[in-house]
Amino acid sequence: MLRPFTLHRPETAEAACALLAGLGEDAAPYAGGTELLLLMKLGLLRPPHLVDVKRIAGFGDIADGPRLTIGATVTHRTLERSPLVRARCPLVASVARHVANVRVRNVGTVGGNLAFADPHSDLATLFLTLDATVELVSPRGRRELPLAEFVRGPWETARRPDELLASVRISPWPAGTGAAYVKFGVHERPTLGIAVALRLDGAGGRARVSDARVAIGCVSPRPMRVETAEARLNGVTAAELDDAAAGVADAAAASVDPADDLHGSAEYKREMVAVFVRRAVRVAVARARGADAPASFPHAVVA
Amino acid sequence: MSVRPLRVVGQSVPRVDGLEKVTGRARYVTDLVIPGMAHAKVLRSPYAHARVRTVDVTRARARPGVLAALCGADLTWCEPYYGPAYRDRPVLAIDVARYEGEPVAAVAAVDEATADAALELIEVDYEPMPPVITLEEALAPGAPLVHTGKPQAGIFADLSTLRPEPGTNVCHQFHFARGDSAGALATADLVLDETYRFPPVQHVALEPHAAVAVWSETDGLTIWASTQNPYSVRVELAKMFGVSLARIRVIVPHLGGGFGSKTYAKLEPLAAALARVAARPVRLAASVPEAFQTVRRCAARVHVRVGFRRDGALVAVECDADYDVGAYADIGPRVVQKATYTATGPYRVPHVALDARAVYTNTTPGGAFRGFGVPQLAWALESVLDVAADRLGRDPVELRRQNFLAHGEEFAPGDTPIDGKLEESLSRAAAAIGWRQAGAADRGRGVAAMLKASVAPSVSEAIVRLHADGSVSVLASAVEMGQGTRTVLAQIAAEVLSVSLAQVTVVQPDTAVTPYDQTTSSSRSTAMTGRAVQVAAEDVRDQLLAIAAQSLGMAARELALADGAIVGPARRLTYSEALALKFGMSGGELIGRGVIAPGRTAAPLGGSTPFWEMAVGAAEVSVDEETGAVRVERYVSVADVGRAINPLLLEGQDEGGVVQGLGHTLLEEMLYADGHLLNGTLLVYRVPRADDAPAELECRFVENADGSGPFGAKGAGEGSLIPVSPAVANALARLTGVRLRDLPLTPERVWRALRARSPRA
Amino acid sequence: MDAAPRVRIRMVVNGGAREVEIAPHALLLDVLRDLLDLKGAKRSCDTQVCGACTVLVDDQAVSACTFLAVEADGRAVLTVEGLADGESLDPLQRAFLDAGAVQCGFCTSGMLLTARALLRENSTPSRDDVLHYLRGSLCRCTGYRKIVEAIMTVAEARR
Repeated sequence: MLRPFTLHRPETAEAACALLAGLGEDAAPYAGGTELLLLMKLGLLRPPHLVDVKRIAGFGDIADGPRLTIGATVTHRTLERSPLVRARCPLVASVARHVANVRVRNVGTVGGNLAFADPHSDLATLFLTLDATVELVSPRGRRELPLAEFVRGPWETARRPDELLASVRISPWPAGTGAAYVKFGVHERPTLGIAVALRLDGAGGRARVSDARVAIGCVSPRPMRVETAEARLNGVTAAELDDAAAGVADAAAASVDPADDLHGSAEYKREMVAVFVRRAVRVAVARARGADAPASFPHAVVA
Repeated sequence: MSVRPLRVVGQSVPRVDGLEKVTGRARYVTDLVIPGMAHAKVLRSPYAHARVRTVDVTRARARPGVLAALCGADLTWCEPYYGPAYRDRPVLAIDVARYEGEPVAAVAAVDEATADAALELIEVDYEPMPPVITLEEALAPGAPLVHTGKPQAGIFADLSTLRPEPGTNVCHQFHFARGDSAGALATADLVLDETYRFPPVQHVALEPHAAVAVWSETDGLTIWASTQNPYSVRVELAKMFGVSLARIRVIVPHLGGGFGSKTYAKLEPLAAALARVAARPVRLAASVPEAFQTVRRCAARVHVRVGFRRDGALVAVECDADYDVGAYADIGPRVVQKATYTATGPYRVPHVALDARAVYTNTTPGGAFRGFGVPQLAWALESVLDVAADRLGRDPVELRRQNFLAHGEEFAPGDTPIDGKLEESLSRAAAAIGWRQAGAADRGRGVAAMLKASVAPSVSEAIVRLHADGSVSVLASAVEMGQGTRTVLAQIAAEVLSVSLAQVTVVQPDTAVTPYDQTTSSSRSTAMTGRAVQVAAEDVRDQLLAIAAQSLGMAARELALADGAIVGPARRLTYSEALALKFGMSGGELIGRGVIAPGRTAAPLGGSTPFWEMAVGAAEVSVDEETGAVRVERYVSVADVGRAINPLLLEGQDEGGVVQGLGHTLLEEMLYADGHLLNGTLLVYRVPRADDAPAELECRFVENADGSGPFGAKGAGEGSLIPVSPAVANALARLTGVRLRDLPLTPERVWRALRARSPRA
Repeated sequence: MDAAPRVRIRMVVNGGAREVEIAPHALLLDVLRDLLDLKGAKRSCDTQVCGACTVLVDDQAVSACTFLAVEADGRAVLTVEGLADGESLDPLQRAFLDAGAVQCGFCTSGMLLTARALLRENSTPSRDDVLHYLRGSLCRCTGYRKIVEAIMTVAEARR
């Protein structure tokens, strides 16, 4: 049961921002509502005003270009099924397919997900490997921020109260990139999420890893790229990968800052990061080779 | 009369309530709209243990639209304490709150929004006190007491001798012994001394508790309740409000699941109290988090010492079990007593010393949950059996077989002899899991068996009415909570009276209409309520035969019932014709009555179990050693049921029981920190989903018609759940060499155990 | 009580045009159950996890417990009461009954509608597809086996 609120349905970003500026903390932007309405039902948030952003022109579009622009109100379902996304960045579609459950995917939006900054967000973790930037609009104009700067901490972003997240832009990987997203956990929200993307330059055992991207989510206050792990991958030959895998996994495990919680102890999470980084790298490498890499692990999703 | 093949009993007829459930027409308590109905909300203690110094509801009461606002101190006009074992649970906290979530105040208002807003106007002055949360804390010398003072005993005969340990948090002790266990253990070839832990878990019936109560001058109290035992609720309300039983009417529509969570009064007393003050119907519906704050399974720490002879024979079992019954006893003392009585499981053990205690803690009250204390003990004993098998170099299946009680063998003096063939269940389960075949290298198999008594003594009564058109009404108070009892009762009546199922209507439980039934729990509804229906239907049958015999000038034994008629060698009389003959007109009805009340016996618990529930489970598991995640790839359950009145319904019951058992085996655990429940919502309390169910799941039945229930039936529904955790742990042990003793077997727990194991040869 | 502004919404519910006046904060589940007397969708977890409140909005499954009724304005809503065509059951309803996939019935409405949405999207789902779709639909009674079997039966019949 919700407490009463006034629902505003602006049709332009300007109008929406003006509302946010005018109402300040009394207003919450509202898209799918899968997070917002839940918090309101629990009594944790009681905004007297909701600013529905779903009617804003352009917010629901996915635009092609050198980078892909995903409007804030694009649902996970739309992302999952978009021919454009499947063509330009199929892993994004695959990951979207596994967010929460089908009902949340039908209604929940990419913008809502990123703006809410749940540390367990799959998309936020994945997008870090795609050089994602978010576009914020306000009465003062537009600004673009790297996702890593936008997400500051658990449920904390750089969005100012009068700003709206309008879109997220990602740079699809070049051809030949093998990538995987693996999440593991028993609860509704995953315990860890790992995105790996890399290319193999050359052929056979002497092919070398380049442009490695490793991002880990859920186990630290916010999702992060792990440069130390990436450094241990770049330059490694395919033949040496098995030996290098332990070092990569260790670097990943050392990079995270887990806490003991209902998802497990910090020690366990750290160890599972190592396990799943190894596994994700293996899948990414196989895919970089053009091989199908069916992998399945209990309580894990391999996208 | 010659013995005829059964027509409808034993058939997987469609369930009688299926159509209404798939079309959304089935009605549950929260679907009911009673004119003038007010809505209630409950203010609950945020502390696990606190003195409640003052509760000020005046501002709430004054708010427009609020019809009642109550706290414990207001309940001077009724008996505010209730409970089936101890009457220790106040409708609203009085002087002290004993667990986080305990109701402290409640309001009824014209709508939910008003009720919600009114709650915020209630001011409570709490003085927090140190809580005891774990068994260790509660049993420590000098521990704070959850209850001080002496509560009254509640309503059950078998608990008339409650044995608390004064000055401690122990509210009941049970002891059962035979032979000389100390001596036998001293001379045994192998003694295993191990401790196992079973977590607190919640039933998570998809429909949380709910009740709608209304008082009237003419009728007394009427309450629609999502309850498994309307008659227990009735007697609690009668005592509470000083009203006669005849003036309290408990009506039960469909339940959205029960599993024991809805046995004995839960929210009904509060709904009734609010309704009395509001002078309007009041609806009180819990949310899922509130269900977590209403009842759960009793957690347990079980210490066993088990002695074996070198050849595998069990010689002695000593058991020392502590059950955490939470802040209020609920039916916890009976859980402890009844389960401990069968702590030795389905085995012959000459020397036993079984001790158990029900221990109060400042947590959600523990009560009945499918298995009723037996899962906790079977977890220990069935694990130990496999440890013994390993040490003695015996096959775990054979070790069980050699120790099984035989068909007809005595369990305890005065109690019903074993009425099933355990070795048949075992053989079939072992064969189905491929026990003798080599398994895949990455899979392990394990088995476990169980034995459980049903509540005794108990009473079930039923009425069968044959109407002038040949249709039949069955009046019985077994509650339909999904298990299919309404269908089974209809089948029994249809079989005895030789009418089609479509001719039979089973009336919803309503204490003003359907006669006394003790409880829908303990796997007893087919065997006991069903037997009452059978006897009632036979009463009608005998009346029909007598009418026809007289009319046709024949002996009743020369006549039989067939397809809605009484049939003799040359004559046939439809039921309508028979009634017309009897009454001399077109109206009237025949009424049959069945009373099943075996009464008290010399059995150790005061009554002889109407049947023994027995089953075997076999699991095949795989494990991802790097993460500790266990998958149950295949599971077979074989239950010895006597006669499956409706095989499809029974199979569905047992499939559900297995998967529910996988819950506490692999996933579920209520976690507390400083008295605060951390995971009382489905976002962080993990129940099995569709992809957790074993890819291959088989539930089978042994049917030797050897039960005392209708057509040789016994009980079922709990047997499939009880063996799950030990079968899975045994399979894991055989696969990996690690033995876990604490449930659930979460990935992290398994991972730690795997890391700690010494390198395998 | 509360003098919240009212909003008029028009939906097509189970094929019939329905118009109701509601507050903006009204949830679709309560509008269906309390205003339109469609009690089939149930409130259980109230947090979008269990699926007992599932209804279809323009053929897509949503958690009615966390869906503003205003969002259904101008859209088609399907509840369990709309599955049967008069006396003629939907194949899924028939399959659930035949397979014994119904016990307490509290999850049944949500399961049926989720299955319906699945089959609309993928008329020949594999067992894995079914399990994927049912990840958000809890049942505590059946152990899921017969529910999956029922859905697969309908899926097979379509091949």
